[in-house]
Amino acid sequence: MEAAAIPAPAAQDDHHHGPPVANQSSRVNSEVLGILLFIISEIMLFGAFFAAYFFIRVVNADGWPPGAGLPVAVAATNAAILLSSSVTMHWTDVSAKRGNQAGMRIGIVTTFLLGCTFLFIQINEYLHLGFTPKTSASASVFFGLTGLHGAHVIIGLLLLWMSAVRIFKGKVGPANYKGLEVPGIYWHFVDAMWIVVFTTIYVL
Amino acid sequence: MWVSLAAIIVVASAIGIGIMLAISWFPAQGSNVAPKIDTFWNVLIVVSVPIFVSVVTMMLFSIWRWRQRPGEEGLDGPPIHGSTKLEVIWTIIPTIIIAALSTYAAILLLDIQAAPAKGTRVVNVNGIQFAWNFETKTDAGPVKSNLLYLPVNEPVTFDIRSKDVIHAFWVPAFRMQVDAVPGITTSYSLTPTKVGSFDIVCAELCGLGHAYMRSTVTVLPPARYKAVMAGLAHASAAVGGSK
Amino acid sequence: MASKIRQAGWYRALAFTILGIAVCIGLSTGLRAAFGLNPVYDGTAVLQISLLMVPIFFLGGIGCFDYWLRWASGRKVVDDHADHGAKSWKDYFKVNTDHKVIGIQYICVSFFFMFVGGLMAMLVRAELAAPGRQFVDPNTYNGLFSVHATLLIFLFVIPVFAGIANYVLPLMIGAPDMAFPRLNALSFWMLPLAGVMMLLSFLAPGGSFAAGWTAYAPLSVDAPIGQAFFTIAVQFAGASSIATALNFLVTIITMRAPGMTFFRMPLLVWANFSTSLLVVIATPFIAASQFMVLLDRALGFNFFNPAGGGDVLMYQHVFWFYSHPAVYIMMLPGFGIISEVLATRARKPVFGYRMMAFSLLAIVLLGFTVWAHHMFVSGMPNWVRIPMMATTAIIAIPTGIKIFSWVATLWRGVLKMDTPMLWATGFIAMFTLGGISGVMLAMVPLDIHVSDTYFIVAHIHYVLFGGSLFTIFAGIYFWFPKMTGRMFNEKLGKIHFWLTFVFFNLTFAPMHLIGVQGMPRRVSDYAEQFATWNMIISISSFILGLSSLLFLYNMVASWRSGPKASSNPWNSLTIEWQVSSPPPIFNFDTIPSVVGGPYEYGVPGAVHAIVGDPAKDLVPAGAGATEGHS
Repeated sequence: MEAAAIPAPAAQDDHHHGPPVANQSSRVNSEVLGILLFIISEIMLFGAFFAAYFFIRVVNADGWPPGAGLPVAVAATNAAILLSSSVTMHWTDVSAKRGNQAGMRIGIVTTFLLGCTFLFIQINEYLHLGFTPKTSASASVFFGLTGLHGAHVIIGLLLLWMSAVRIFKGKVGPANYKGLEVPGIYWHFVDAMWIVVFTTIYVL
Repeated sequence: MWVSLAAIIVVASAIGIGIMLAISWFPAQGSNVAPKIDTFWNVLIVVSVPIFVSVVTMMLFSIWRWRQRPGEEGLDGPPIHGSTKLEVIWTIIPTIIIAALSTYAAILLLDIQAAPAKGTRVVNVNGIQFAWNFETKTDAGPVKSNLLYLPVNEPVTFDIRSKDVIHAFWVPAFRMQVDAVPGITTSYSLTPTKVGSFDIVCAELCGLGHAYMRSTVTVLPPARYKAVMAGLAHASAAVGGSK
Repeated sequence: MASKIRQAGWYRALAFTILGIAVCIGLSTGLRAAFGLNPVYDGTAVLQISLLMVPIFFLGGIGCFDYWLRWASGRKVVDDHADHGAKSWKDYFKVNTDHKVIGIQYICVSFFFMFVGGLMAMLVRAELAAPGRQFVDPNTYNGLFSVHATLLIFLFVIPVFAGIANYVLPLMIGAPDMAFPRLNALSFWMLPLAGVMMLLSFLAPGGSFAAGWTAYAPLSVDAPIGQAFFTIAVQFAGASSIATALNFLVTIITMRAPGMTFFRMPLLVWANFSTSLLVVIATPFIAASQFMVLLDRALGFNFFNPAGGGDVLMYQHVFWFYSHPAVYIMMLPGFGIISEVLATRARKPVFGYRMMAFSLLAIVLLGFTVWAHHMFVSGMPNWVRIPMMATTAIIAIPTGIKIFSWVATLWRGVLKMDTPMLWATGFIAMFTLGGISGVMLAMVPLDIHVSDTYFIVAHIHYVLFGGSLFTIFAGIYFWFPKMTGRMFNEKLGKIHFWLTFVFFNLTFAPMHLIGVQGMPRRVSDYAEQFATWNMIISISSFILGLSSLLFLYNMVASWRSGPKASSNPWNSLTIEWQVSSPPPIFNFDTIPSVVGGPYEYGVPGAVHAIVGDPAKDLVPAGAGATEGHS
């Protein structure tokens, strides 16, 4: 029943060489495709929390917990901070592609610091809100959505930290910027997601 | 070949349908809803059995007719890649069946869940871990009990609530099941049509005592129902008064 | 010893685990002190934080993150492939990046959990053999069926398909490995952690999680601490599942061999492509649902607390938005396996190949529109129920296309009725039954009566046992020679099939009847009238359970000392059969080139792929079967 011609040597002397280079069957690069798919997954995770928002705030029409109201101005400022970090991230990316070491370093540090500022203001907002997740279901939704986003900012910051380390060690350049591009895409996603969260929670 | 295959399928389907219809699937028919559901079930049987029989017959026939015999080890079958005509047929026929069944089901659903007439007797059903409480307003005052009493041939609406976790209020003889969901009230209306005692079962896992969360509904002739309820109202009032 | 602890491996994993527990105790007490909570040490808090964090320490210790951390810290990383391939059985207990090793790791671990979960089913059936209390108290009973379902879903059916695909999919598309081998290793290692966590829940005070695998709130929110083991273990199983799916998608999209267009891919690849889409899109919903339960439990959130305005039904919507697609996640890869087995053993092309691929995608799309059919009695209005009934019923159409096409594939073939084929044909019959009862359940008026009864138990076992598990057995027998290089015992395989087939039906068919008659599911005790049937079911189920020992013996004995398998014992055309059994460490010397469809059986001179160095060896691999017999 041995039908096929088997490349006989393949089974034995394979220790002196590595694997054959895989055929690239798509124009999309595998790392970029990977992070895009991961972001789809992340969007769905947010989607589930938006579903909670929908059921509790829209279907059951629960208001936000009574009190001074949500600090829209603070949150809007914070949104501006996070958005500007997207701009600096993009600048870092462009610098990397051009091999501009100084630009990369300044860009990644600025982005990182802007991210930290966002997180700091967000935590400060939590402490002065006047309600906690225990207050009501809508309070839980508020903390659920903003907290989930905050957790993503932390993950994004960790990725940025790794990129920063590699940039400062001189490992990133025009020929080798995947390690910056992928965290960059993720950071843009975190920023874009804040626009959605911000609009849903503070504006609508 | 085709004639005998068709004959096999027809005969086997007939036998299959016969057996399936002969099985006593359901408990007693205790409500006006029950006969409708049971008829629907029979329709589903009549539609389903031929589908299953056809698939299995064609498969077993292929296995019997074309199984590899000694000496055929190196042979391949004919390279049939598909047939648009067949594929269209077996897309359209199931579509028609599905559409017909769904329409039937939708009409049936709207029928059995038609809004109850005004003034229908309301029974408040409360699920708690792990018992059912029933509250009925009667002329003699409110009645609270763990056993449910209903008059025969009089419509009734159950308003179902839960105080702790989700339960499901299921009376197999009535063919009705509704979840008792904390925070909302669900309801279901029907008319008991048969005098007797039937099981009430909790069908949604509700914790330790889920298996034991059973009760009984007793359907009584109207006069007898009145007498029982009057007695219960008296007892309820006495319990209420002593508190 | 010190050097052993510094090296990635079990010693370091143990050390890291202990370190992790210490960190969690510190973190918990520190946070509680900072927030002024009393007492500062709270066992429940420590346990929940530990469940979340200690697995990550373990993964670090065993070596899942070494390469990434070295890379991220800007140090030199070498790709010497030291962690690729297995030279002895010990290598299967280490972090390995070879998709073939990971595939076997997946399969063995998931079968381990199948036997554990199956054993729990035996205990459940022992308890149910007669009305009243036999062996276990209701709490243990609830725990047993909950863990049974959870293990078999999250630790067996989903990962075993991932394992089979891990092994054969890169070979099938002519790739040297998966796109992200280290992520692949991480996905695998999260799995046993989730499984062990679920089993450990039996040691928790108050018993294991006992709210069913659906873990409906608010029951799961109020449950004892054992529930947290489910809530958190599902996060790891889910993360593993998402990472694998992402890996499959990227591998299929970017690493196909030249000439392997989408419509030349074997249907197993199509099936896993569809499944992976489902996983990537749907799985975050179960993660979120369990996160919300965890937040409610641990931090007093109000998502599902009606007193605080929470919405109990919201849990079910979020949960089923994953868990309904999850039944397709547990079935579509099986569809792929059946297509491979049938085409090869019937010596015919798969009937209607393109429709087979499109129907998979149709199921993916429709799968997202039907979740609320699990909630027909939960108090939803008719304007939700009727559309959901229609979409649910519509899924029968693409599924029907697949069943009819499989039968048509058998038509006029040359059918070799060996073990894989028996399982495949058995699957068609059983899955048709499961599909029919599925359409019945989709019909709201009937579902109002049979919801949460043994009719459901019968239906899901016809779909997941008669469906998924039969395809898994078909696949395992089919690729066993490729994976191990040895043949299994055909006679034992056939006995295994017939025992399973007969006693599967004796076990689960009567459940349809007792369900319709009025027996609810998930009960440790039942009315006297169901006693006879339950006794019959229990006895059948014990024989069914014993039959799996035959399988175990066959696999173990054949792997150790079965006759050597040739590279292509089934005379198949797809690429994985054109390399040696087991395949060489890097799969191929040179990437094969694909020149035709995967199932061109009976087409004279048809070739699917040219494997091997074309310069040295111009004989097309897998050339038509006419000269294939020797």
